[in-house]
Amino acid sequence: MSSLQPGGSSRGLHHADRPHAGGRGSVGKEVTVAEGVSREAASRWGGGVSPVGVSWNKLMMWLFIITDGLLFAGFLAAYGFARLASAAWPDRLEVFHLWFISAMTFVLISSSATMATAVGAARRKEGQLVSQMTFATLVGGTIFLAMQAYEWTTLIHEGARLHSNPWGVPQFANYFFIITGFHGTHVLTGIVILAVVAARALRGRLSAEGVELAGLYWHFVDLVWVFIFTLFYLI
Amino acid sequence: MAKDATGVPYSVYWRTWAFLLTLTLVMVILDQAAVPRPVLVLVLLTAMLVKAALIAGTFMHLSQEKLSLALAVVAALLLTGAVLFLLIAPDGLRLLQMKN
Repeated sequence: MSSLQPGGSSRGLHHADRPHAGGRGSVGKEVTVAEGVSREAASRWGGGVSPVGVSWNKLMMWLFIITDGLLFAGFLAAYGFARLASAAWPDRLEVFHLWFISAMTFVLISSSATMATAVGAARRKEGQLVSQMTFATLVGGTIFLAMQAYEWTTLIHEGARLHSNPWGVPQFANYFFIITGFHGTHVLTGIVILAVVAARALRGRLSAEGVELAGLYWHFVDLVWVFIFTLFYLI
Repeated sequence: MAKDATGVPYSVYWRTWAFLLTLTLVMVILDQAAVPRPVLVLVLLTAMLVKAALIAGTFMHLSQEKLSLALAVVAALLLTGAVLFLLIAPDGLRLLQMKN
């Protein structure tokens, strides 16, 4: 009994893992292989491997993306609620310079494509391409941020504040600044991360996984923008 | 070690890029055209989800990961967000009625 696999029995994921589980009349997988560990449990949940098939680092990045995405989901749900509860909402064509915002979207999507290329290049160990593509992504992100800053400045000059704006609905500008502000901050953080990745790539001190994780974060930022662009600017 | 994605040629990313940009262009043009509002909203939301699926599936390699991970991400993010909105939406509409 004492010679059980430490990974399997300490997790408590399957009743069948524990040697005394049968005695308690547990429901679940039948114990088949020796020492109270079922074959399937040993292979996937028995410890030592990742059940979802990715490394710990990658899983943690995905978990971060999920939680950060829920932040934006909360903001956008609140924004949707505010719009439903409002008799009128400013006409997006009057407030926003739609082609300018479309250009911003173009820049961000392009930066996502360069980042994906960088991740692929890292796996193929093409160091120079990694540096070039990561730098291109960084430049794209900076251009996006500059354009967003210009948009903000224009709206602020027209009178948009957190508590009021000239377009008839008091909380409209509030939602705009908060949602795009949080997104812009994420873009800025991404730029910092990419600068570190680019610097390390130049010195040859970068792993393929490091680039991939940075890539996941950057694609997440682009993904959020797809939702913001559609829900706030287009609808 | 993380699951390998070396099988993906660079062209896949750039073809996805081209499609995403075309879709964005269509969305913006449609937005300024004289389309009935319910139709516009439906088309824009559908296009938005297609774009999201492409970015997550191709750029983030989610289509190559184990189904459990992909489902976890989609359920945790998309489903939760949608349910959150759908749960509070009736209150928003009721608030509008109360104001009138």
